[in-house]
Amino acid sequence: MVNSKEESTTKKDLLIVGFLCNWCSYGGADTAGVCRFHQPTDLRIIRIPCTGRMDPLFVIKALIYGADGVLVSGCHPKDCHYNEGNFYARRRLEVLKQFLPFMGIHADRFRYTWVSSSEGQLWQQVVTEFSETIHGLGSNPGVQGESDAKAMISFF
Amino acid sequence: MSEKIFIAQSELTAMLERLSKEMDVWVPVEMGDEKWGVRFLPYHRDNVVVLGRQSTLSPKNVVFPQVETLLRFRYQKDDHDPSKQSIDLKDLQDVSSALVFGARPCDVRGFLTFDQVFLKGRYKDPYYAQRREKTLFATVLCDTKDSACFCSSVGSGPGDREGSDLWMVPVDDGYVIEALNDKGRKLIPIMGKPATPEQIEKAQRVQEQVTAKPIGEYNLTQSAGDFTGRFEDMDYWRDRVSKCISCGICTFVCPTCYCFNITDESRDLEGERIRSWDSCMFYHYTLEASGHNPRPEKFERYRNRVGHKFSYFPDAYNGMISCCGCGRCIRSCPVSIDIRKIVHHLKEAVDADN
Amino acid sequence: MMEDKVKTLQKEFLNVFEKLEVVLGWEPGYDSLHATPSFIREAEDLNKLVWNPLCSQNLCTYLVKTLNVRVRENDKKIGICVKGCDSRSLVALIQEKFVPREALYIVGIPCEGTVDWRRLMRFEPSLKDVQKLHIQGPELAVETAQKTYRFPLQHVLEQRCLHCRYPNPIIYDGLAGEPVTPRVGDDQVYGDVEKIEQYSLPDRLKFWEKELDRCIRCYACRNACPLCICRDSCIAETRTPKWLAQRCDLKEKFFYHMIHAMHLAGRCTECGECERVCPVEIPVTLIKKKLNQIVKELLDYEAGIDPQKQPPLLTFDPSEKGI
Ligand code: SF4
Ligand code: SF4
Ligand code: SF4
Ligand code: SF4
Ligand code: SF4
Repeated sequence: MVNSKEESTTKKDLLIVGFLCNWCSYGGADTAGVCRFHQPTDLRIIRIPCTGRMDPLFVIKALIYGADGVLVSGCHPKDCHYNEGNFYARRRLEVLKQFLPFMGIHADRFRYTWVSSSEGQLWQQVVTEFSETIHGLGSNPGVQGESDAKAMISFF
Repeated sequence: MSEKIFIAQSELTAMLERLSKEMDVWVPVEMGDEKWGVRFLPYHRDNVVVLGRQSTLSPKNVVFPQVETLLRFRYQKDDHDPSKQSIDLKDLQDVSSALVFGARPCDVRGFLTFDQVFLKGRYKDPYYAQRREKTLFATVLCDTKDSACFCSSVGSGPGDREGSDLWMVPVDDGYVIEALNDKGRKLIPIMGKPATPEQIEKAQRVQEQVTAKPIGEYNLTQSAGDFTGRFEDMDYWRDRVSKCISCGICTFVCPTCYCFNITDESRDLEGERIRSWDSCMFYHYTLEASGHNPRPEKFERYRNRVGHKFSYFPDAYNGMISCCGCGRCIRSCPVSIDIRKIVHHLKEAVDADN
Repeated sequence: MMEDKVKTLQKEFLNVFEKLEVVLGWEPGYDSLHATPSFIREAEDLNKLVWNPLCSQNLCTYLVKTLNVRVRENDKKIGICVKGCDSRSLVALIQEKFVPREALYIVGIPCEGTVDWRRLMRFEPSLKDVQKLHIQGPELAVETAQKTYRFPLQHVLEQRCLHCRYPNPIIYDGLAGEPVTPRVGDDQVYGDVEKIEQYSLPDRLKFWEKELDRCIRCYACRNACPLCICRDSCIAETRTPKWLAQRCDLKEKFFYHMIHAMHLAGRCTECGECERVCPVEIPVTLIKKKLNQIVKELLDYEAGIDPQKQPPLLTFDPSEKGI
């Protein structure tokens, strides 16, 4: 196994956007932090109320504009704070995951998982794995336009 | 006259190659393998140049790009006093000179319409002016009309040279090319060898033959009053235009539609102000900040399109129709709305009512 | 044969005309190679209606966006002609409660395919003044005063028709013509999608970059789509929140098409209108078809087939495994 600790300190950071539900995964990430589990540093977390709010277009926009990876995480199915949000989410997100390669975007750049707020350990594992996958894929060129404004307006 | 040259179809590529060393050369090319549509793109030797049919999209984007940067800005925060900031602005950028090769008379007439608005009015649009000044048109005498063409109905015609810098007449598997002004004359030596007297004579005959046959069965130049008379006849518009889906294709492919929108696209401390094509067929075109929309219905928007081209514009600009009769809006309309018929019937219906 | 269909069609509407507000059908277009949608409001105009392989427009798009059928002023119905694919759009609109079934009087037309005008022109650029045009077995027969042309259907039909599984209307009140046999078997339906999937990942991206680069963002694909029902509030045009910039670069175009596709996931009825109307001939239906294939395999659902079912992305199932 690669020693992820050393890896992440030597490797250039990539940009991973994490959409985490307020009630479980955001808490999970917090738990991981409080317990001082070592985590890769290329994740930028955006807190969402529920994965049911997770519009697949958030993921698409991030990937088109050059985010290297997108991670969505919420409560385990049947544990949704709003009962059913993640039931909707998993259908949408799975469809999205299968769809991305058709447009030429690597499916591994997107992952969705379920992590509860007590699962700090699991969170560390998920993030580390995902970060490794993304480093394996390298940086994402995004969709290449020929816009003259490209250099100036970079959304990420 | 020595100014006329002949270029064989087979030498076209070499000629375009030579020209493209001097300036940006825009040519009509196929949209892709097995595609019928044609658009203007900067010349590239791998592209198939199509002169045998009208381009699907007009070359208006050469002078009036779909998106044009008007200015760029960047805010700078004062390091010592964050409440203060300065702004860097960069506006008008230089553009290179360009040649539109293989335009048609209707395409060029589009720019004559633009000129009225952007150059001849009280204000001169510097962005347009600069490109217009630097763009030349090598126009081909049009002998390939189809069922949607009606340039003669609006006061132009397949042999109309107005606005062109070079004039090309198809003869003998090639073109006799002639300069119509000094700008065009400068290019002649780069383009090819002098034409033979026979070729010139043949070109003359082709020109006469083509101009002898007007394109389009109606005369639509005097429709301003008919339009005003029909304006409030909702049934007229609803009956004919209910099928419009308000897609705006007609205005985007149109050589004379010039409406635009200006937006600031920025992120953090920098951004740009751009001008992009707009269309009166869009709901948002007339949407007011209050939420009120004076043209909520599709047929009302279409009515504006007809009115602008055949009534408001001629009223404002000495009777000039802001429709060049290219038929693009008819050909590309997904529901085949025919603007000729709609304008023509304005009149008929007025007559019948009297 | 075709003439009979037209007669039946007209008769179907005539019989119930006093109960109808308007009839949506097709009439001859600006030349002999085009038909155009027709809104018939008087019984005597019914004889304008035609049916032939040029009747390509999907009229269902008017039900929500032009006529707003859900809000009715009286109990009069809307008469509408539908081909097989159009009828799927109808079913989908009924499923999603945008159009009440009882507001419609539907005449279905078993369909052998419609002609893609641009493909026809590619095949025979000089074609004009057509007197008659009909499908005969594997060919399109086109009669002009001088001669009869015969074109292989493979080269002149709309892409949607080459992969059509549902040429026969799914719901209708009256049927004009005998049911026809679908052109392809279930295994060939996604042939066009699979062709793209043979490319490597970077090549697919290149393919789409090249195709979508032509897009002029007129949004005709959206306006023509019977299931794009946001009327004038599409997120492609809102500024708050701002999803898309006005700049017409490839990223924006790419994103717009992903938006369109995602909003149609599990809802698209493969009528192919988005592709047919595109002025720059981008094969945009393919994108939606891929999503349909995913939805079919993952959630065992096909849009616009069963009026009782719910589109799968608008609902959920707690018991499902593997996702
Ligand atoms: S192209 Fe046709 S349908 Fe589209 S806005 Fe113009 S007239 Fe309407
Ligand atoms: S108002 Fe409409 S018809 Fe007139 S130029 Fe603008 S877009 Fe074209
Ligand atoms: S997709 Fe099928 S039903 Fe629709 S027009 Fe083509 S053949 Fe007819
Ligand atoms: S119809 Fe074609 S050009 Fe217009 S927005 Fe859709 S894909 Fe782009
Ligand atoms: S996305 Fe295209 S094929 Fe699907 S329903 Fe809409 S118009 Fe038809």
